[in-house]
Amino acid sequence: MRAVRISFFHMLRFVRKDMMLLAAGILPFLIGIIMRLGIPYIEKLLMSAIGVASVLKPYYSLFDIFYAAITPVMLCFIAAMVMLEEHDDHIDRYLFVTELGRSGYFISRIAIPAVASFVVTMVVLPIFCISSLSAFEVFSLALGGTLQAIIISMLVVALSSNKLEGMALTKLSSLLMLGAVVPYVMPRPYGYLLAFMPSFWTGLQITEKQPLFFPAAVAVSGVWILILKRKLEVKIR
Amino acid sequence: MRFKNLLAWDMRFQARYGFYLLYGFLTIFYMAVLFALPASVKSAVAAMLIFSDPAAMGLFFMGAIVLLEKSQRVTSFIAITPTKAFEYVCSKVLSLNAIALVVAAVLSVASGTKSIALALIGTFLAGAVFTLFGVIVATKTSSLNQFLLLTIPVEIFGFVPAILQLFGLTGAYGSIYPANACMEMVSGSGISLPGLLLTLILIGFLTYTACRCVEKMWQEQGGVKI
Repeated sequence: MRAVRISFFHMLRFVRKDMMLLAAGILPFLIGIIMRLGIPYIEKLLMSAIGVASVLKPYYSLFDIFYAAITPVMLCFIAAMVMLEEHDDHIDRYLFVTELGRSGYFISRIAIPAVASFVVTMVVLPIFCISSLSAFEVFSLALGGTLQAIIISMLVVALSSNKLEGMALTKLSSLLMLGAVVPYVMPRPYGYLLAFMPSFWTGLQITEKQPLFFPAAVAVSGVWILILKRKLEVKIR
Repeated sequence: MRFKNLLAWDMRFQARYGFYLLYGFLTIFYMAVLFALPASVKSAVAAMLIFSDPAAMGLFFMGAIVLLEKSQRVTSFIAITPTKAFEYVCSKVLSLNAIALVVAAVLSVASGTKSIALALIGTFLAGAVFTLFGVIVATKTSSLNQFLLLTIPVEIFGFVPAILQLFGLTGAYGSIYPANACMEMVSGSGISLPGLLLTLILIGFLTYTACRCVEKMWQEQGGVKI
């Protein structure tokens, strides 16, 4: 545990040097403020420009889903970028043979940032959400977003062999977040084609106001994480 | 000949690391999104997609490209060849813009943009601006996180006014701003001559700055001045 703690603080020192730690602390609040003030303002402008009763209002809950997803993704993404740097500089393989080990390394780089990002999301989401979310919905959006962030981090690290492939995969894997849009725009039987995306179930939970879709989101995320864990084990063997 | 080789090498490099595959997949995905949308918003969404992704890909990927080249000592080898910084920068801009233009052409056709030629000119100019910014920032950074952080202001000043312009929220003089002028062209809705002129001046200035930054990077390989 001591080695994991040291490894985590080492990563924090590394990102602090790049000012990324400061950015990671500020950005969730900055995005929250922009969303909270900006979206209703743009809605007003659009309403007067187009002359309809509402343009963005029916999608306010979708903005909240994205906010709950972006906050943990941003924090886990920073850790994933550190892992890519360490892989390119061959530091990770030296760390694997220390007391830290492989599992300790991944706990310090994926699990701890994920827990931290869950806590941050639980704090900022109720403050900056623009739709009315219940306490359970805040919890489920924060947990769903965190699991998605773990999946994106694991995808990037497990499938890329250097930072360039990592960036390409980051771009591709961030599309996973767009599953939440599907229940808002696509008719139901076709929407289920994207049921492999955890965010699809999160979107369904919010649009249908049905908490039973939350376990589905967790189960789909669990399958992704299990598959990626195996991939990761094969990669670092 | 030297420039042609450099360009071919850059394109091979991008193909090897999955850029073509990635943008092939993204193009199909974006087309699916466009087909699912009502015709009234198709061209605005297509313009937003083109401007924020293929046109801005240099800003997103340049950090990883230059940092990977640095870690593989490629820049050290280029530094001792007769290659000029201008050729290196142009090769990066043209190779990434080649992908951006193909994606932009497909999305413009799929969305029924009024003028595809105008959309492609806009994509090329926006792509050049973003890639040159990417080169400048990448030569100054030592890690991906640092690069991503430093590109945030460029993204804010590049994307926000352009999206406001697309929805007609920037007023009469909005299209003078280079990002807005490019967005106007990408959406195929028109061309602002003062905006185009300012964009070309900006590209000239950024090219000069990027070349200076690349020369400086080549002179400081491995922490010592060559």
